[in-house]
Amino acid sequence: MEVRVENLSKNYGAVQALRDVNLSFVDGGLTAILGPSGCGKTTLLRCIAGFLEPTSGAIYFGDENVVGLPPQARGTAMVFQNYALWPHMSIFDNVAYGLRLQKLPKDEIRKRVIDALNMVEMMVAPDILERKPTALSGGQQQRVALARALVVRPKVLLLDEPLSNLDAKVRQRLRVELRRLQRQVGITTIYVTHDQEEALSMADQVVVMDCGEVRQVGTPEQIYRNPTTAFVAEFLGVTNVLAGTLTPDGKAVVAAGTRIPLPADVPASSDHYTVVFKADAAYILQDQPTPQDAVAFTGELVEVFFVGSTYRHYVKAGKEMLLVDSPSRVAGPSVNVVVPRAELKVYPGAPLGHDVEPTCSVG
Amino acid sequence: MKRLRETSWLIVAVPSLAIVVWLFFLPFIRSAVTSFQTEDGAWTFQNYITAYRLYAGDVLYTIFVSGVSLIAVLIIGILVSGFARIYGGGVVEFLFKIPLFVPFVVVGHAMRVFLAPHGLLNSALAQIGLVNLDNPPSIAFSWVGISVALAWKNMALAILLILGAFESVGDTFLEAARNFGAGWFRQVKDVLLPMSLTSIAVAAVLIFTSMLASFSIPMMIGSGKGAQMLMIDVYYRIVYQHDYGVANALGVVSYITAMGAAVYYLRSVTKG
Amino acid sequence: MKRARIVRIILVVLISFIIFGPLSSLVIWSVAEKWYWPHLLPQQVGLFYWGKVFQGRMMQALQVGVLIACVVTVLSLIMTVPLGYVLARFRVPFKAAVLLIFLLPQAFPQLPVFANATVYLYRANLGGKVPGVILIHMVGALVYAVWTMTAVFKSIPASLEEAAINLGASRIRTFWNISLPLAMPGIIASALLIFLYSLDEFTGTLLVGSPFVLTLPVFMYNASQGYELPVASITALLLMVPGIILLLVLERYLKAEYLSSFGRI
Repeated sequence: MEVRVENLSKNYGAVQALRDVNLSFVDGGLTAILGPSGCGKTTLLRCIAGFLEPTSGAIYFGDENVVGLPPQARGTAMVFQNYALWPHMSIFDNVAYGLRLQKLPKDEIRKRVIDALNMVEMMVAPDILERKPTALSGGQQQRVALARALVVRPKVLLLDEPLSNLDAKVRQRLRVELRRLQRQVGITTIYVTHDQEEALSMADQVVVMDCGEVRQVGTPEQIYRNPTTAFVAEFLGVTNVLAGTLTPDGKAVVAAGTRIPLPADVPASSDHYTVVFKADAAYILQDQPTPQDAVAFTGELVEVFFVGSTYRHYVKAGKEMLLVDSPSRVAGPSVNVVVPRAELKVYPGAPLGHDVEPTCSVG
Repeated sequence: MKRLRETSWLIVAVPSLAIVVWLFFLPFIRSAVTSFQTEDGAWTFQNYITAYRLYAGDVLYTIFVSGVSLIAVLIIGILVSGFARIYGGGVVEFLFKIPLFVPFVVVGHAMRVFLAPHGLLNSALAQIGLVNLDNPPSIAFSWVGISVALAWKNMALAILLILGAFESVGDTFLEAARNFGAGWFRQVKDVLLPMSLTSIAVAAVLIFTSMLASFSIPMMIGSGKGAQMLMIDVYYRIVYQHDYGVANALGVVSYITAMGAAVYYLRSVTKG
Repeated sequence: MKRARIVRIILVVLISFIIFGPLSSLVIWSVAEKWYWPHLLPQQVGLFYWGKVFQGRMMQALQVGVLIACVVTVLSLIMTVPLGYVLARFRVPFKAAVLLIFLLPQAFPQLPVFANATVYLYRANLGGKVPGVILIHMVGALVYAVWTMTAVFKSIPASLEEAAINLGASRIRTFWNISLPLAMPGIIASALLIFLYSLDEFTGTLLVGSPFVLTLPVFMYNASQGYELPVASITALLLMVPGIILLLVLERYLKAEYLSSFGRI
């Protein structure tokens, strides 16, 4: 099922939770919607599910605009962060609920419930059907919740942060299984998460949202390697975000005391710029000359932490603290942090700042 | 030493405990003891025999009236709370809180003048031709009047407790059901009600006990003829006949009935 | 969604009729100077009875009732604020037993017990007197107050107090500086409800006070039984005023927690 969203907006009074969102989801694939809490990702998902009515815009399932249709008429099935398994019903009754509402014959319900539980690998014990959900672990509960959603053979599968209540280990394993299952059933899947690693590792397509707006859409590789805005770069965990100002001649940006020539595709239209680079893209030189196609920040080595896979160097350059990951420990105190030009991104506008919470407050 | 210091904090409980023990606990024991005594203090079952002979019907009547009112309150309370939980309470919720703040005596009096043969309800119904005022039905001075008044007064508490329980059921449990096409009635029946059974049982016991023990409402709108609510019998027995023995026997019957409701509740809770 | 709106409108109309129907007949009766059936509304309307009521024994009953309610509220608070704190915070011995004793009056019918309590109060020479009525009101008020106070103090995170104790404050100082201010909204809410309970109390007042101590509910009952329906209706309206004010003030705070604390240990 091809799912498209056109000019979708949702207002709560004066607050705009979604602003003119246009998206098309990968047919039969997994699209992750990624963003900080309050970015509108859950609102978008609930609009698609039919729990919320958008203020304006359209949602197409194939050629049909489903806005105004009740949730059950849309053919979606949702999996919730807290699993939402009804505690008073057995596993069987939970999974069978949707089929019973469709008034299917008993034999078929039983067969399909068992098939669905098999698919999520939950037919682990002979009495599993009679158990109550509270007797299961969180990971098992989420498998049952997934079975409950899949058993009705939805056209679109909606997942609202399904793994974020689970332990790190269980989360890692379920990621793999969820992805395998999604490929197997081939249902168009929309996956809401605030965990960038989860989004990058599982999705065919990643949508980054902020303040109710779509910031960037692309494959995980595109998003990670070429973030188009400072927000996306920051949110994807780029460790160095510097404030820059335009030089009087308008040809370069000065950040942490270093002059960085303005890339050709960045307009000289703003006074303030954001300069970002990843900690593992930079390296530290001491006395050697800076290579041609690189920028060097001069600073003082403040601290080195061993973080397991790497040594993280903290370098004070001007007012900024730069982070550089390096496989070996470098001695200070005076060092040059060298960043290849291709790894250094410059965006118009001042950085959001590390301590600044989302600039908008939307549900 | 620590144990002693902790115990010493109990001093703050002494004044309030003294009052409750003196004026509730001991009178409670006294009523149970004297129900087995003659006026001279001799042990007897006569009070219970007299109570059974005179008031057996009234006991059943009281349970019947309370039971009917309770069922009405629960049905309306569950439906209204379910509606308010799913579509938002708003005015409906506020309106139902009003009776909580109307004193029992006022409810009794208001229902009396509202439901009387020539009260406002019959007069209004007569205007649209539903009631013949030459032979108006008397709702006020019958069991229906008491039931209506008891239900009216207890509705607020019921909705407060039931809606509170419904609200502690997370949205996602309802959305999961809605996702499969469950309408509001099914959401109430399949999700809200079974997930709130314990709280509803508590509410039911509280309300049933309060109806059973109701005194001022039947005082205000009772007819004085025919079957009476149990508390009215106790009051008349004491005030007009100074017969504490039979009155206390009836009191003990009311305790046991109230306890029966509580035990039933406890069993249903422990069962599951 | 549309159907829900129609259902809502029907519900509001129906419920308004159910709630305001009986109450509106009080208003009509309170101004009815002449009203014979089969007229829907009184033939003669006026404030004659209002003037009469305010000159008679009603004012006296009002004063006595308010006095009793004030004393009951203050005494209940003095007794139960510390007790609620102790029960919420300390692992005192016999805690379950103490709470159970305060649960009893909630679980059993009041009238037969109060009838026997009346015997004790007359023996103590308190029957038919204001102190006796105050004491009988205290029983119900204390039960309510203990449970709500315990709930109020339980809802304050213990870590806030531990932070003060950690800095060297004594238990009692912590109670004054930290716990009491945080508990204030809950204390005020339950104080208002205790006041209302005492003002509206009928059973105990009738048994212990009658015919010497008259409060508004008993006055109203007498008027109603004497078929002075306008007088009874005016008194009923007056009795509703504090409750309605409280409802408007407390609406936001009136969550089920306060009331559902009854019946659960």
